Amino acid sequence: MSSYRRDFLALSGLATASLLLPGRAWAMPAGAKQPAPASPPPQGGNASAALSASRVPADLPVAKKAIEAAIAAGASYADARLVVYRTESIGVRDDHVQAVSNNEDYGIGVRVIADGGWGFAAAPRVDEKTAVALAKTAVDSAKRSGAMLKSLGKPPVEWVKAPVAKGSWVAPFEVDPFEVSLADKAALLIEASKAVMSTPGVAHASGGISIVGEDRAFVSSEGAEVHQIAYRIAPRLTATAVSRRLGRFANRDLEVMGMQAGWEYVTGLDMLGHAPDIAQDVLRKLHAAPVAPGERAVILAPSNLWLTIHESIGHPTELDRAMGLEADKAGTSFLRPDDAGSRKIAAKGVNLVADRTQPGGLATVGWDDDGVQTGRWDIVRDGTFVGWQTTRDQAGWAGEAQSRGCSYGQRYSGVAFQRMPNISLQPGTEGYTTEDLINATEDGVLVTGRGSWSIDQQRYNFQFSGQMFWEIKRGRLTRPLRDVAYQANTVDFWNSCDMIGGKGTYRLGGTFGDGKGQPMQSNAVSHGCPPARFQANIVNTGGGK
Amino acid sequence: MSLRQNQAKAIITQALDQASLGDVRVSLDASKGGNARWGDSMPTTSGDIETLTVSVTAVTRDGRRATAKGNDTSKTGLAKLVGQAEAMAALSPVDPEVMPPRGKTAYLSAKAFDRKVSTMKASGRAPIVKAAIEAGTGQGLAMSGVLAHADHTVAAGDRAGLFAYSRTTQMRASTTARTADGTGSAKAARVGFAADAVDGSALASEAALWSLRSKEPTLLDPGDYTVVLAPQAVADLLSFLIGQMSHRQATEGRSFFSAAGGKTKIGQALFDDSITLTSDPTDAKNPAAIMTGGGDPQPKVTWIEAGVLKALRAGRYWADQAGVAVRPMPSSMHLAGGTGSVDDLVSQVDKGVLVSRFWYNRMLRPQTITATGLTRDGTFWIEGGKIVRPVKNLRYNDSPVTLLTKVAAMGAAVRAGGTTDSTVVVPPMVVEGFHFDSTSDAV
Repeated sequence: MSSYRRDFLALSGLATASLLLPGRAWAMPAGAKQPAPASPPPQGGNASAALSASRVPADLPVAKKAIEAAIAAGASYADARLVVYRTESIGVRDDHVQAVSNNEDYGIGVRVIADGGWGFAAAPRVDEKTAVALAKTAVDSAKRSGAMLKSLGKPPVEWVKAPVAKGSWVAPFEVDPFEVSLADKAALLIEASKAVMSTPGVAHASGGISIVGEDRAFVSSEGAEVHQIAYRIAPRLTATAVSRRLGRFANRDLEVMGMQAGWEYVTGLDMLGHAPDIAQDVLRKLHAAPVAPGERAVILAPSNLWLTIHESIGHPTELDRAMGLEADKAGTSFLRPDDAGSRKIAAKGVNLVADRTQPGGLATVGWDDDGVQTGRWDIVRDGTFVGWQTTRDQAGWAGEAQSRGCSYGQRYSGVAFQRMPNISLQPGTEGYTTEDLINATEDGVLVTGRGSWSIDQQRYNFQFSGQMFWEIKRGRLTRPLRDVAYQANTVDFWNSCDMIGGKGTYRLGGTFGDGKGQPMQSNAVSHGCPPARFQANIVNTGGGK
Repeated sequence: MSLRQNQAKAIITQALDQASLGDVRVSLDASKGGNARWGDSMPTTSGDIETLTVSVTAVTRDGRRATAKGNDTSKTGLAKLVGQAEAMAALSPVDPEVMPPRGKTAYLSAKAFDRKVSTMKASGRAPIVKAAIEAGTGQGLAMSGVLAHADHTVAAGDRAGLFAYSRTTQMRASTTARTADGTGSAKAARVGFAADAVDGSALASEAALWSLRSKEPTLLDPGDYTVVLAPQAVADLLSFLIGQMSHRQATEGRSFFSAAGGKTKIGQALFDDSITLTSDPTDAKNPAAIMTGGGDPQPKVTWIEAGVLKALRAGRYWADQAGVAVRPMPSSMHLAGGTGSVDDLVSQVDKGVLVSRFWYNRMLRPQTITATGLTRDGTFWIEGGKIVRPVKNLRYNDSPVTLLTKVAAMGAAVRAGGTTDSTVVVPPMVVEGFHFDSTSDAV
């Protein structure tokens, strides 16, 4: 133990990391910390009950009818997805419920390749007549696309081979989150919200829970037949403090992450127990000193770093972006298609791994929407960019014979295209704790939680904020700061990474709202990481006041 | 799906007829449309998509409320949905903010429907896409973009006599041209209710021209600059303003619009006296939605008049509490302008930066509506009234308040083509002392 650490502990009387960094409620499903590749990923003991309760298998003949009709109309490949997409949300404000709603939509999406072009059609009616009409519409679109490719001198869609997908998969869960009554959910949230409000000086509290359930079947003209079910759940809790005297207010979110899990994840979080932490923190934040801008060390807790990984590593390693296919919306990439295997983008010791089999990971699934079995592969190995995210129509561009399994279409109505897998920073071998990182830092800022984020369309320049900011001087947390953002260039930032926490500090963060495409679709994805130290340009977002 | 008025009414009536609670509210959102994308100068995906959402909100006598949504419009499907909403409401805690059913309601009327858009298919999309790609490939540019069309129905009804119906169309396209060396990029976008809102070739030619002008940008040091903001850049920043214009947040001390003593800044001269901001769904050239998805009418509103704050947004509950008019999140924003184009404004500037649009804009500090984001798709240095060179993109940390207080000149207001979820009509503007914090190599 370094002398800094001993001094800090002696002075503050704080003995554990959870006391050191309050305001986080961070349970994870079993196995989420173990990077153990498994194909297909593990599933829960109640998988067969969930599969047999599903309405989807009864409509498989309709999906197969769509495939038949597409092939008859001239498609060289066709797939159909039957998707039940369920959402439930409940919101509370102060001591009462503000909104309760659920949504269940069901429909069929038919995707085809004909004359070398893509076509797609989708409707919220699942019957044979609709299926045949959709197939014909999709083939008409595809043929026009194929003809245009030809007349422009462009190559047809290259569809790499994949073993024929057959099977079922259910993401592990103990308690179906849709089966828990709204009254119980509301009671849990109101209790936590009231606990936040009970701290003098806190003006408002709000909270909520969002749940998504996907029950989907995939069939293809290659003979694939897959049925998969997954639940995602994201609770939230926020404290607000207002100072009319100072003319300021502050918000503090509980650092709690969306997870692929059942209701047991929420009950395991103990949001009520953590409510006083964010109440204390919001008052600290309201009265905190404004940050002095300038270059210095930042220690990013996993609750903050996951989103930085998502934006600065996840997006630029999407092959379609590098190829220019998303140039009109999300943008392109600072990485070029031929950079894989040679371009150094991070310091030695930085390893980032894509994994669609990780328990709890929001992008974890058995087979993707091209019918490709999911797996685990390197994105950055010892600082060098080595691997793209690909789908079956992109693998050839990367010079690869097989897809990485990154295809996803949201709901029945979204056409499947390349979406981000779980991409995670691997723990360092030194076994550092968060305290070790703080103790080793002369002058810096500790950033925890998710704040505002903004990054350019090629993923060079970013500026991210957080929930809580602590000044670090001579290895100790000295005082809370406000109006902090850190700004950097992606490659400089990852090359400046000089300390990474050990296995014990690894946590999984994630979002339901990874947006991409036109019309835009949302992908759910997780990013695991330990805390890590970087150099960045600290910006005062309050205009210095 | 596209729904005629009698079809929408039949679905809503069938759902309401199966309600057992006295207060049940039903709304419909249906769309039938298609899209085609292109990237790296080749068509990528193309599709025709129908969606439908039936939303049923049930409210118990003691104020328990819940909403269930689904897409099964069969009699049994609707019965199931109504039953689900009623069961969920019974399980929900009492919501003190619940308002009585709306009942018979008057709406403004606006014409925003074009049959040509409603019936468009792949055969109609393909020539537009091909023209947009070919307008750039002849000049060695990589073209990408999207063309999307939709026929959109919104309807609402309740057991107290409400029936509201609106069917509109939207045609939109955007395209980005990138130079072969990857140093130049520009975007052009159009949106309107009619098919003639989009001309693929003209759109792509505009993007192509500006991408070539933006090639090989050089560094401009961050700092405070006079900026000429193209209409899209104005629209991008203005979206933060309306987001913060909540009467409730202001009353609670949580906003730029909060005044001392739990009051708002309504009546205060907060902006330059050239600033007048309104909403008008009936505007003949740029119509907008006449109702929200839940059936709230979209009124004409004057938000800011000659620099004075006149109104803030309020939902039904808060409007009742505060004694102000109901003003939902508006479907249109009109910032009154002057005359002249972006080029005319450039000619008036001695030294400054021309910004085509902003990207990845995020709120930093609601107290001052300070946001961050970056310039994108063409940023230029102006000297002596002329564009003299393209510059690298810059990150700003500034506020729409700066836009509305330090305005030096305004051009003629036009529809911002890249803003498609509402109708935004704004002028290009010259603004002084706009703050850029850092630069980016992104193109």
